Amino acid sequence: MTLNLCVLTPNRIVWDSEVKEIILSTNSGQIGVLPNHAPIATAVDIGILRIRLKDQWLTMALMGGFARIGNNEITVLVNDAERGSDIDPQEAQETLEIAEANLRKAEGKRQIIEANLALRRARTRVEAVNAIS
Amino acid sequence: MFCVNLLTGIVPKPSVNHFDSISFKSQLNPFPLFDPSPSSRSHPSPSSPLPSIQSKLRKLRERIETVKNTQKVTEAMKLVAAAKVRRAQEAVINGRPFAETLVEVLFDINEQCQLDDVEIPLTAVRPVKRVALVVITGDRGLCGGFNNAILKKADSRIAELKKLGLDCTLISVGKKGNAYYHRRPNVNVDSFIEGESFPTSKEAQVIADDVFSLFLCEEVDKVELLYTKFVSLIKSNPVIHTLLPLSSKGEACDVNGKSVDASEDEFFRLTTKEGKLSVERDRMTMRKNANFLPNYQFEQDPAHILDALLPLYLNSQILRALQESYASELAARMNAMSNATDNALELKKSLSIAYNRERQAKITGEILEIVAGAEALSQSGGSSPTRNQRFIWGRPKAIRGYCGIRPFVLIIASSGWMGVQIPLETSGFVGRLEGAV
Repeated sequence: MTLNLCVLTPNRIVWDSEVKEIILSTNSGQIGVLPNHAPIATAVDIGILRIRLKDQWLTMALMGGFARIGNNEITVLVNDAERGSDIDPQEAQETLEIAEANLRKAEGKRQIIEANLALRRARTRVEAVNAIS
Repeated sequence: MFCVNLLTGIVPKPSVNHFDSISFKSQLNPFPLFDPSPSSRSHPSPSSPLPSIQSKLRKLRERIETVKNTQKVTEAMKLVAAAKVRRAQEAVINGRPFAETLVEVLFDINEQCQLDDVEIPLTAVRPVKRVALVVITGDRGLCGGFNNAILKKADSRIAELKKLGLDCTLISVGKKGNAYYHRRPNVNVDSFIEGESFPTSKEAQVIADDVFSLFLCEEVDKVELLYTKFVSLIKSNPVIHTLLPLSSKGEACDVNGKSVDASEDEFFRLTTKEGKLSVERDRMTMRKNANFLPNYQFEQDPAHILDALLPLYLNSQILRALQESYASELAARMNAMSNATDNALELKKSLSIAYNRERQAKITGEILEIVAGAEALSQSGGSSPTRNQRFIWGRPKAIRGYCGIRPFVLIIASSGWMGVQIPLETSGFVGRLEGAV
């Protein structure tokens, strides 16, 4: 009994194959999903998705969305998803620093909201790269 | 060079005034590339036919070259645009699973819980005082009327809203729109967004963030999206969709409130039919999931879940608008460049005809003159005068010579006027003189 994971972004299908187990970051904490999980629907936060294939863990940075876990069918809909292996550590670090600088400079409610979002995304990307290494 | 010496050596006597059959009054500047000799300076020569024909020919030749190069460029642009249209269509198709699943999920969740009494910020319907317009234009030109059409639509919408007494602010996407609105300080523009050429979800995210924060901070009460809908390869329409507030069913609505969602969408495939590019339409029907989905338990509050879903929907709507705009721009560019190529071909044809006509006229003129000169030669006694014969005023003389390999005729009219008929493109050669004065 294997889980079938489908990660969809507006651009393309990022992942569409079978996995053994996943760990998902949601708004209310991390949840681990094994085969025959009860069906739930949850919002996905900006965070890391860990996928286990056999004995190997893969990370993917998700930029917020929704996940639906059904009869061994997991559908994750996110705005953007990047595999940890596809992210350049140097570039991710730079993006993080720029985001932090922007947050310090931000004025007004709007800019602060935007800067916060950007910062969380940058941080997730850096974590995704670090989690592998 | 020798001719110049001859010219200076002979002083024309204006007394004898009759001309022979060779009325050689052409007064050619003998060597157009040389400084005018002293004798001819006192008689200003009018612009002679030969140099002007030569320059006209050259100009025509240059024009033909230019048109040929332009045609190559426009043809290449057309092919590039055609290839990119296919990629743009593929991108739309790739985005379909996401959009489909999203709508499905939204539908399910709405069914599962009665959410009419739940407050979701993004669906908040407020009395409208300010409206934000997101205008999507292209980045580059040479695409026919594409950018103009959408900008005109935006202007008319702004005028409409102003008439209704609503304030209006703009988010301009694309270099062309940005340039247009930079030059118009009377329009209130919130931000200018420029992306890379191919629309990705990252750009859609930027616009979505902007719109999101504007709406949530209650700076605007309604957000409308202006983009070009791709109808076919030769037709595209600028349309206006209401982006926010979203209806709780998650359907995108037209300005009049009618749903224009993706349920009955068509998408196009660029294929070849009998060797010509053609477009095939596939109607996409919403698959109603036959097998019943399990009753999902919500991990969080339904409101939270919807809160997470609706921004996704916003994002996918914006991305879809961007992709359709991009595809329409490419189709418009393809058409414009195709027309330009056809026009260039026609122009080249007409220019070539004119060029050939000029060339033939020139050659005919040359032949006529040489023949006339030969006539003069034969009339003036047949054999060319010997070296020591003195020049006798009053008798027209023709002296043959060679300039390089080309023959020329030096014709001395009775009044002492001298003209040299040499073929073009050979000037300044020192040649052998057969006859002499």
